[in-house]
Amino acid sequence: MILSSTSLFSQVKFEAKVSKKKLGINERLRIDFEMDKDGDNFNPPSFKNFAVIGGPNTSVSNSWVGGKRSYKKTYTYFLAPKKRGRFTIKQATIEIEGNIYKTIPVTVEVTAAVSKPKDGNNADYVASENVHLVAEVSKTKPYLNEPITVVYKLYVHPSTGVSNWREIDNPRYNDFWSQNIPVKAIKAETGTFKGEEYRYVVLKRVVLYPQKIGKLDIEPLSLDITVEVPTNRRDLFGSRIMTQVHKVVSAGSRTINVKPLPEAGKPSDFTGAVGDFDFNVSASKSQLDASESLQVKVEVSGKGNLKLFELPELTLPSSLEVYEPEKNDKIRTPLSGMQGTKSESYTVVPQYKGKYPIPSISFSYFDLNSKTYRRLNSDEIVIDVLDGPLNGSNSNTSSNTSTKQAVTLKGDQFAFIKTSTNFTSIKPKYFFKTTTFWALLLTPFLAIPIAIVVRRKKAERDADVHGNRIRKADRLAKKYLGEAKKALGKKEAFYIALEKALHNYLKAKLAIETSEMSKDKIKTLLSDRSVEQDVVGEFISLLESCELARYTPTTNVTMQQDYSRSADAISAIDRQIR
Amino acid sequence: MISNFVIAQNQALFEKANALYNDGEYAEAIDAYNLILENGKHSAEVYFNLANAHYKLNHIAPSIYNYEKALRLAPNDKDIRNNAAFARNMTIDDIEVLPQAGFSKIMKDITNTFSFDNWSKISIALVILSIVLFLLYYFSYSETRKRLSFVSSFLVLFIGLIALSFAFKKYNLVKKDKPAIVFSQESRVMSEPNKRSEESFRLHEGTKVQVLDSVDQWKKIQLANGNEGWVESEDIKPL
Repeated sequence: MILSSTSLFSQVKFEAKVSKKKLGINERLRIDFEMDKDGDNFNPPSFKNFAVIGGPNTSVSNSWVGGKRSYKKTYTYFLAPKKRGRFTIKQATIEIEGNIYKTIPVTVEVTAAVSKPKDGNNADYVASENVHLVAEVSKTKPYLNEPITVVYKLYVHPSTGVSNWREIDNPRYNDFWSQNIPVKAIKAETGTFKGEEYRYVVLKRVVLYPQKIGKLDIEPLSLDITVEVPTNRRDLFGSRIMTQVHKVVSAGSRTINVKPLPEAGKPSDFTGAVGDFDFNVSASKSQLDASESLQVKVEVSGKGNLKLFELPELTLPSSLEVYEPEKNDKIRTPLSGMQGTKSESYTVVPQYKGKYPIPSISFSYFDLNSKTYRRLNSDEIVIDVLDGPLNGSNSNTSSNTSTKQAVTLKGDQFAFIKTSTNFTSIKPKYFFKTTTFWALLLTPFLAIPIAIVVRRKKAERDADVHGNRIRKADRLAKKYLGEAKKALGKKEAFYIALEKALHNYLKAKLAIETSEMSKDKIKTLLSDRSVEQDVVGEFISLLESCELARYTPTTNVTMQQDYSRSADAISAIDRQIR
Repeated sequence: MISNFVIAQNQALFEKANALYNDGEYAEAIDAYNLILENGKHSAEVYFNLANAHYKLNHIAPSIYNYEKALRLAPNDKDIRNNAAFARNMTIDDIEVLPQAGFSKIMKDITNTFSFDNWSKISIALVILSIVLFLLYYFSYSETRKRLSFVSSFLVLFIGLIALSFAFKKYNLVKKDKPAIVFSQESRVMSEPNKRSEESFRLHEGTKVQVLDSVDQWKKIQLANGNEGWVESEDIKPL
């Protein structure tokens, strides 16, 4: 509603007021020309593009307030637009106290037909014009799991009032995790709505965490409101009579476009936490005895969708007994989103002595401020179990129910290092499958054919009598005459050796001592053993020549002869002796 | 001369490392023990002491790795077994060992009594004995002795061949035995040797696995409970 005045004298006011500046072609427009002094010769503008369907109606009001008179005279026209477009209603003129006053031209826009013609006098229409339910959504393009808030406000124009309301349809937030923040006391506040001053109340506040990506619809909130609308009638005291109208308003049918979290740099252990968090793993004790218990607490604190993700699982050495974690959430949900701490407490009972490192675990979340993923790592904790049985080796002590305390060596100590050693090469040398191995394994087998050959040769030799004899004689000669042969050429030594050899032979064959040896005895003994006479003679003559040769000069040839004669004699005796 | 010098040097290093260990300077002790290994020499005791030092520093995988190394050189050492049990307590994975029973277990136990080198030496000794007995049979004249030596020769040869077969069996077992220790804190075991495939299970630091096969940067592993899968080779360290 635009008020304007054109006057040459400041004390006179002459204005044109339209009921609305924008209307459908099937609606009507009311235009009032108001003046605060009575005038003559009122001249309306030519309502081009409009059809005058009512008016001019003239109304005059006089009132005395605080001894001051106020006067108002109004000419009212009801107009129907003829076509769509922007039209200007030109100036109207009036003559007041001899002066001509004009109004400012008013521009009105005529649009396409509206479904329900808005009638400025209809209470329903007034109610719908002056009462607005608005859903304020904090963000229309949030990330998955990023909190958004929806605040439902009821705007009421100061000219109307709302006496009561009732929720017809409570919206269901499908695909959202929602938390309703109850409004404790409804308080009227002033705010602007579409550029005008309105009073508003906050009816409902909801925090939503989108759980799905894509376009998600928020269902509207519908209210049945009892609206008090002023009428043109007035009561005894001059104030307007209000009528009550039931009005159904709805708001908040919005589409939220949920963005997926970026794939780039998404950590493998990301479980959907979005916000700003701290991560901590702590143990209640770090040193204890076996079968005592301790608590290991995994805790995430901060702001974000705390209720909507799982804490990372604690991985503990398998030899520790671990019970199901106890969950403990301390989460508040103000309008800004969930905040608080979320924790899981594991009760751990070590069974055996030793050190148990609890490896560092990681927790990843999407940081909405920097729009990146962050990973927090917990510190590694080492639990030192000081006393208790050793795993595996001797844990059967429980079966011992005797009250006597056995004095046994504690075998379950962590052994000290070894202090002496023998180094070997890191690169081992293997014996198996080497050539030496195969040679050693297979060569013994060669012994069998060799043995067979040897035996066959022996049989052959045994069969060859003559050859055997020669060989035997050779062998004998070699056996007894070896010394003499070496001394060939040295007269003295040769004959001593030869004599000794002959004696030795006799000793061996006849089993007599050197002292008993006389030529006669030798003769008889050999003859007794059936050795032929000439062989005996030869042997005796050899012995004689040995004795003789020591004192007579001898040549090498003689020595050679004597040597071969001795060999022949020995072999002959050997052959004949029985 | 040079080798003597190196041996003396290693002994000195060993004693120095032991002293550092006893003073609680485990990291320095580890460096000294590693120097010995870098010299190309090792012993069960070096691995054992090194593993102890790692244990004191809560290094799960290196300590288990070195205990396993020590146990390979001295499988029946009580101290090593005892401390290795302490180290295994630190591991996260709980893997039930598949029990072996019946004939195959007996065979395996017998095969594992000696190294393949010792088995081959035994078989050589038996073969030689058998040949000697055979020659005794061949050259002796007495009827009973002949019979006795002939029978025992073949018996000994038969036992020798069995020993040889055990040598081969043990050799194959050793060839096939490629244990490795998981070194990364958490290792994803996939169903195929690529990252796209499904995750079969997860292993944690210190778990012992058997390497069965390898493709590019991936190793096929088997757990003691029979589960199989592929891991990236950088996650594990073969013994």
